[in-house]
Parts: sequence; C-alpha cells; structure tokens
Amino acid sequence: MTTMSRHRFSRLADQVMTYGVLSLVAGVSLFPILWGVLTSIKLPGDLVTYPPRWIPRSATFVHYADVFLDSNMGRYFANSTLVSALTIFLTLLIGSHGGYAASRGRFRGKNALLFVILATIMIPGISVLVPLYMLASRLNLLDTYLVLVLIYTAWQVPTVLWFMQGFFDAISPELEEAAQVDGCSALQAMYRVILPLTQPGLAAAAILVFVYVWNEFIIALTMSTNDNMRMIPVGLYFYISQFGVEWGKLMAAVTVAILPIVVLFIILQRRFIQGLTSGAIKG
Amino acid sequence: MDVITRLRKRRRGGSGRNMLALALLLPALLYVLAVTFYPALYALQVSLHDTTYFTIGRFVGLKHYLRFLSEPDGRNNILRSLIYMGASVAIALPLGLFLAMLLNKPIRFRVFFRGAIIVPWLISQIATALLWGWLVNPQYGPIPYLLLQVSGVQLGLLADPYQAMATLVAANVWRSFPLPTLLFLAALQAVPQDMLDAAVVDGATGLRRFWYVIFPVIRNTALIAFILLTLHYFNMVTLPLVLTGGGPVGATDVMTLRIFREGFSFYRLDIASAVAMVVFALNIVFSLVYVKILRAEPLY
Repeated sequence: MTTMSRHRFSRLADQVMTYGVLSLVAGVSLFPILWGVLTSIKLPGDLVTYPPRWIPRSATFVHYADVFLDSNMGRYFANSTLVSALTIFLTLLIGSHGGYAASRGRFRGKNALLFVILATIMIPGISVLVPLYMLASRLNLLDTYLVLVLIYTAWQVPTVLWFMQGFFDAISPELEEAAQVDGCSALQAMYRVILPLTQPGLAAAAILVFVYVWNEFIIALTMSTNDNMRMIPVGLYFYISQFGVEWGKLMAAVTVAILPIVVLFIILQRRFIQGLTSGAIKG
Repeated sequence: MDVITRLRKRRRGGSGRNMLALALLLPALLYVLAVTFYPALYALQVSLHDTTYFTIGRFVGLKHYLRFLSEPDGRNNILRSLIYMGASVAIALPLGLFLAMLLNKPIRFRVFFRGAIIVPWLISQIATALLWGWLVNPQYGPIPYLLLQVSGVQLGLLADPYQAMATLVAANVWRSFPLPTLLFLAALQAVPQDMLDAAVVDGATGLRRFWYVIFPVIRNTALIAFILLTLHYFNMVTLPLVLTGGGPVGATDVMTLRIFREGFSFYRLDIASAVAMVVFALNIVFSLVYVKILRAEPLY
C-alpha cells in the first residue's frame, strides 16, 4: 500500500468511526423519548405485548384526549406557564439591573457583595427544603404561586446576575458616556442604549430560567397540596399513583410536558446552548 | 460648556451612579440571602434540637448527627451517594470530552448531531425517571427484552440491588452527559487550528497531540465540568426518588432521599435537618478541594 492510499484509508476509517459513533449516540439520546412518544400513540392493545411492538400498527390520540379531558393536565400546564413567566420576569428584572450595577458600579465592598450573592449557589436546594417548607407553612404561603416564584427567583438570580454582568462588561462604557454627553441621564443611558444591546444575553438567561422552572419538581411537590396548584412535574408524579399501569396515558402526559421545551429548543438552538452551559449545580 | 468639561463633571458626579449600583445590588443580596442563607441557618438550628412535627423541642447538640453517622443506615446513605456520584461522573465526563472532540471536527449534519445530543439535558428528572421506568419495565420494556436476546439472561433491572444502581446511573448519565459535551465543545473552539496543524507536521500522533496541544487548553473546563457534575449528582433528589425510590433494600438510598423521607414521610424534621447539614458540609468540602486544585496549578 502506498503512503497516499494508506493515508486515504485511515481518513476513511476515521470518518466511519466519527459518523458511526455520533449516529449511535444521537440514537441513544433520542430513543427513550421516541419510545415514550410511540407508546403514547399506540392502541391500548399494542402497549402491553411481549415482545414489545416496535412500530405501532396504527396511531391513536385517545391517550391525549384522556390526558386533557379526564385529568387536571390543562390546569397544571397553565400553572407551570404562569409561574415560569412570573419567575422569568422577576429574575431578569433583578438579574439585569444587578448585573449592570455589578459591571459599572464602583463602591467599597462590591466584590465581597458579589461573592456572597454568587456563593449562595453553593447552598444545595435539598439542604434548605425542610426549613423552606416550615417557613412557607408559617407564612401561609403553601399552595400559592407566590412562594414558588419567590424561591425559584432567589435561586436563579445569582446565576443570571453573573451571566448578565459578563454581557455588560463586554459593552464599552464609552457608549454610555457618549449617550450622557448627548443629554441622557445615567438611568436613561442604561435603558435606552445599553440594555437593548444585551438582548441576546437576556434571551439566553430567560431560556435558562424557563427550563429550570418548567422542570423543577421537588420544591413544587413540597409547596403544593391542592391538586389545582400543582405544576406539570408534580402532576406527572401523581399520575403514577393514580393511573399506575396506564402507560399510554402516562407517556402522553410526559410527551405533553416535554413538548414546549423541545419545540423551543429546535427553534432557538443557539440561545439554548448559551443558557444551558451556565449554572447547573442546584439539585 | 465644552464637551470635555461636561464629561469631567459627569465623571466626578459618577458617585451618583455608584449609589445607584449599591441601591440595585443591596436588595438583591438581602432577598437572595433570605431565601438561601437564612433557611440554611434555620436548618442548622433545627438539627441541634429534638422536634415533634413542627415544634422545636429541647437542645440536644450533635445527637442527630452522631446517630446518622454511626448507624448502618446513615453510612449506607453516604456510601450510595458516593457510588452514584462517582460512577456517573466517571462515565459522563470522558464521554462528554470524546463526543465534543467528534463534534468539533468539520462534519456534515453537525447541527443535527449536536441538537440530538443536547436533547436529554432538556428533559426533566421526573420525565427521565418515567421514560426510563417504562424502558426497563420488566414485562414490556424494550431494554430487558433486548438484553435478554443478547445475553440470554432475564435481568431484574430495578429488582436486583446492583442492577438497580447501574440502571439509575445509566438514566442519570443519559440525561446529563450533554452538559460536559457542551462545555468541552465550547472550550475546544479555543484550540488554535494552526497549532494542531503544526503538531501534525511535526509528526505528533493522536494521543500526543491531545496531551500536549488540546489538553492544556481544556484543562480548566474539565475541572469546572467535574465540579458542576459532582455537585449536581450529589444534590440530586428527583431522579432516584421516582425511578428507584431508594430501593431495592436501600441499594440506591442516597443521602438526599433520606432527607426527603425523614422530612416529608416521617416528619422527623430534626433528623432531616441534620442529614441536610451533612450534605451541605460535604458540598463545601468538595468545593474547597476543587478551588484548591484550580488555584494550585497554573494553566500552562
């Protein structure tokens, strides 16, 4: 074999290995989801077969009808949407102003203050679950949207603030100075000139918070006892006990729960990647 | 007044902006502390007392800690947490690096591959637990069926203690490997292509190229990914709670599940708080060790 053809051969082997491994991993990544979706559209008789029926004989939406008509899923969906929206709003409000202040302000103790805010990320959620429950119960906040929004916001603010500070740092202060020369006040300069430039950062932060709130389970479970106040993940959890063996219905509910995030991800892949790589410690 | 003096005046008046900065940051700090630091202190206080439901009784010092650390159940909880965390990170981290290096090549369908590989990270822990519970269902699940075809052995993926831990780790790695993959992929963008080319010209083989050219650039990312993953795994509740519930016979009963059970099934808030403080303390120990490693070694 000549050097040239050996080189070509090893390149080919390399390509086969690369595409082979990536296809395998992509398959493993998607298979559990695909299996859930397939289950959700199988006829009830096709669900519990041995060996498993890989391709459904025909599709049915009867499980989805069950999920929306026979259970409280619509309400859970609305609850999750509302709490997500409120948390995103509040977190971005505090995080962007705080990030701006952290980037531009000069005062004694600033670094210590920022360090303390960021250090709260290191307090594991499970470690403060019991006291939060006791406090919420004492303040009559159980079964409210407010308690979820307050906890989620407090846990996401440090990450978002830190993330936004990076975006503000990347914008030259001369821009505000120019705006101020043109007659803007410091606040006007921030709102009209600087904040619009950080829109990509705000979008990525909003996605980070959305994925967190939409998927969070343990706080939502602890803080709600009333079925009407449950978030989607808690609703899913109680499906197991309520409809233990109805896998078609359960997988339809799971599909409904993950659909918004997967659809958003397909549309906004780049922003997602930015948001997802920051902050993932809290259990 | 010309522009320069107006600017100077603004700059001197910059203390107004600094006051504004303080006014924006201070409430954020107080609020965040109220929902994180204050409850942590509260848990510390509860853990040092006996409790009956929500009533805090007499001070008992470290009684609950000592009991947790000395009884077999407590040691089992700690061991299971370490196994779960260690096994998951030992698989997810190298896998993430390997995939990132493949994705970093000039390949076709890159957006598709990258997208497909990220999707599991978007799935909640509860949905992961339910999907995997169905996948490994002993009667109708495709995974036991396929494993039976391959090995000829009927496995008890959630019934056998070892297999249950392996299944739990598999589900966990499935959901979380996208995180290190993404972090490494971002870091690999910083490896200069001309350095790689030069290494090839100099005759460096794959392994040496990795060790001398790529690894120094991604080393810090590897440490950060390691920190993020270990803490994430160690503090996890939902996936083990829903997939295995700590069973069978305590084989997957990690510390966080113990906290949840003592707190919300048995209403033993004192024991729950003591275990919660041990988890918190171990988080701090891990972090300090990591910070020390990060600081101790220079980048190059």
